[in-house]
Amino acid sequence: MSDAPPDGALTRMARWAATVGRIPRLVFGSLLVAAIFGAVINLTMPGSRASTVVGIFDTSFVESTLRIAVPIVFAGLGGIFAEKSGVINIGLEGLLIISAFTAVAVTHLLGGDAQSTVWIGLFAGVLASTLLALVFAVLVIEFKADQIIAGLAVWLVGLGLAPFLSIVIWGNVNSASIATLNTVTVPGLAEIPVVGPILFDASPIVILMLVTILVSWFVLNRTSFGRWIEASGENPSSLDTAGIDVHRVRYIGVVLSGVLSGLGGAGLVVGRTGRFIGGGQTMINGDGFIAITTYLFGNYNPIGTAAAGILFAGLEALQIRLQQIPFIPAPTELIRLVPYVAVIIVLAFVGYTRIPSEVGEHYESGEE
Amino acid sequence: MSESQYPDPIRRFLRLFVGNSVVERILISVAALVTAVVVSSLIVLVAGYLSGEAYNPLEIFAVLVNGAFGSPFDLDSARLITEGWSPINFSMGTTLKETTLLIFAGLAVAVAFRGDLFNIGVQGQLVLGGLAAALALVWVAPFVPSGLVGTVLLIPFGLFVGAVVGGLYGAIPGALKAYADANEVITTIMLNTIATGSAFFLVSAYFADPTLQSVKTRPIPDFARLNGIVFPQGGQFSLVALALALLATVGIYYLLRYTSFGYDLRVSGKQAKAALYGGANAERMVVSTMTLSGALGGIAGAMWSMMVIGAWRQGVPSIGFDGITVSVLAGNNPIGVIPASLLFGVLKGGSNAINFQLGVPPELVAVLRGMIILFIAMPEAFRMLGNRLGVKPDPAATAGGGSDE
Repeated sequence: MSDAPPDGALTRMARWAATVGRIPRLVFGSLLVAAIFGAVINLTMPGSRASTVVGIFDTSFVESTLRIAVPIVFAGLGGIFAEKSGVINIGLEGLLIISAFTAVAVTHLLGGDAQSTVWIGLFAGVLASTLLALVFAVLVIEFKADQIIAGLAVWLVGLGLAPFLSIVIWGNVNSASIATLNTVTVPGLAEIPVVGPILFDASPIVILMLVTILVSWFVLNRTSFGRWIEASGENPSSLDTAGIDVHRVRYIGVVLSGVLSGLGGAGLVVGRTGRFIGGGQTMINGDGFIAITTYLFGNYNPIGTAAAGILFAGLEALQIRLQQIPFIPAPTELIRLVPYVAVIIVLAFVGYTRIPSEVGEHYESGEE
Repeated sequence: MSESQYPDPIRRFLRLFVGNSVVERILISVAALVTAVVVSSLIVLVAGYLSGEAYNPLEIFAVLVNGAFGSPFDLDSARLITEGWSPINFSMGTTLKETTLLIFAGLAVAVAFRGDLFNIGVQGQLVLGGLAAALALVWVAPFVPSGLVGTVLLIPFGLFVGAVVGGLYGAIPGALKAYADANEVITTIMLNTIATGSAFFLVSAYFADPTLQSVKTRPIPDFARLNGIVFPQGGQFSLVALALALLATVGIYYLLRYTSFGYDLRVSGKQAKAALYGGANAERMVVSTMTLSGALGGIAGAMWSMMVIGAWRQGVPSIGFDGITVSVLAGNNPIGVIPASLLFGVLKGGSNAINFQLGVPPELVAVLRGMIILFIAMPEAFRMLGNRLGVKPDPAATAGGGSDE
């Protein structure tokens, strides 16, 4: 690297863009193109139908996209840690459900109005998800349970428990309403056009999500713990040889997936919806499964994973917006399906993501 | 088994279950069941404490099982048999209806498992199979004489359409797995949502009954439905359907056990290399297995449309997911699917009774389902417990079917 040309900001950005992978480049690129395209349409034909459609994509669209992205991105990041360490966690959906429910339940039981109780609810939701992930970890690491079956069990436990307890508490699968977290406004910075309201006048959960993306990237790529996680999934015996306990690394990986999914599920209810909806597939409605697809898309890179998650959330936000435009006969139900179809196409044609080689394999240390 | 290029939890799973002796699998299932009931009881106690109602787990499970059969036992008095109880009653019909649907869904999952494939997509195959059967019957019925002739023609036709559509939808993840190496666990999960979403879209946009506000197709004419002959009409249960389910179970058992197709399916599941030496086309085997599995799921969907609803409507219950639990509980043995389905049929049939008689939310059954699969996922735990209690395992039974090389 010493003979690299002197780093200008542009070359550094280009180099960074080359490292983040195809999906984020695609996402950021299409966003940029869309923004330019939208601006042109708005300027050339104001008031037309085209500009109404383009008008969807304003800062509040970005804000709602980021809010919708919360459970997907957090669970996706969590899934990276578990799967990189060698444990595929199909149960992310269940972790999201249990944390969303617990956050609402605890906040409700504490009164439900004061901001402090909402924060406690958030914490409780994270705790519940972490505990369930710990059970999952014990099952697959200690008891050598099949990871897919155990993951399904986590999902079904969440899917069973949350609506049941909702009925016990509220007499209905849907909860009562609780307060949500106030937005955090950074004075001064919030005045910056476009970026200001999105980043500096936002829900604390959204800010936490953006920070977590960067922290996850740093941990996985720049710390020795990140290398252990990688080795634990790719070549556990080498990690063992180096004197690192593979089981412990996997425990941490799975528990981290619980913590992060907990932030996602609890963050969803305390940051946006303010209640738990338990009918059918519950309010989580497949976000945990979409999360799995985001890290496959992002090739286990937190930046790529988050970009995919935000892209999918954007489709969801788009669908909601399109429903409000009367002259669009768009089959909005079908827009929701785009991520799912996209994943299949990616798996089938673009070439599948390289899954860590020892994922799903129980590791037995030679000493035992 | 190191030649596998994919994360092979499925193979390990088979090693744990299928490779072991039947007795051990039954023991594991029973142990998981008992543990699930105990843990659920604790949850019920805590829930009752939280809500201020004194739930008694023993009473709940007694009412649950008793209610599933239409309360044959009089739990409140010393009399053993409820006066006027007859085996033909509404609750029994509900229980057997669920059992019938679960047998097909369970068989679908079990067939795939035997071929070393994890078909989580039975739900999607069921949704589309059910929709196709309902639409086909609505369209074709006007051209068929009503009455017995129509029934004899249309019922097999409806089930056939369901099987074909479910089978084709199951073939998709099979082909993706065989030719593009796409993990079927991920693709089937995606295809479930796609099936539900596109079925909703198709019905709401094109095939909705114009006289209704809901997302529901036109009704299937009465003579093209699987009507209750013996059981009361309202029970939505047809003995014919149950007979077909039992027949299908025996058929699948025979197919897996005694035919060359079944042999290839099982061998390519357990020993891919051996299957290749035997001349089986591994790729085609994967697609065929998934097609067969999807067809069974499609039949379950057709039965749901033709027997339970008499049309297709949105909000298909999660029979396909329950099928996974049934199959896992049955150790993926087709014959084992029958008792496992009956068990879940009882849970569902009795859930109304605990609601009406005790005020316990019927969602308790979903809690039980989660717990059962949670504990069945840890056979090793029970084995360790057994060892600690001094029960020495039979070496032949725990060798994992010799697949550890």
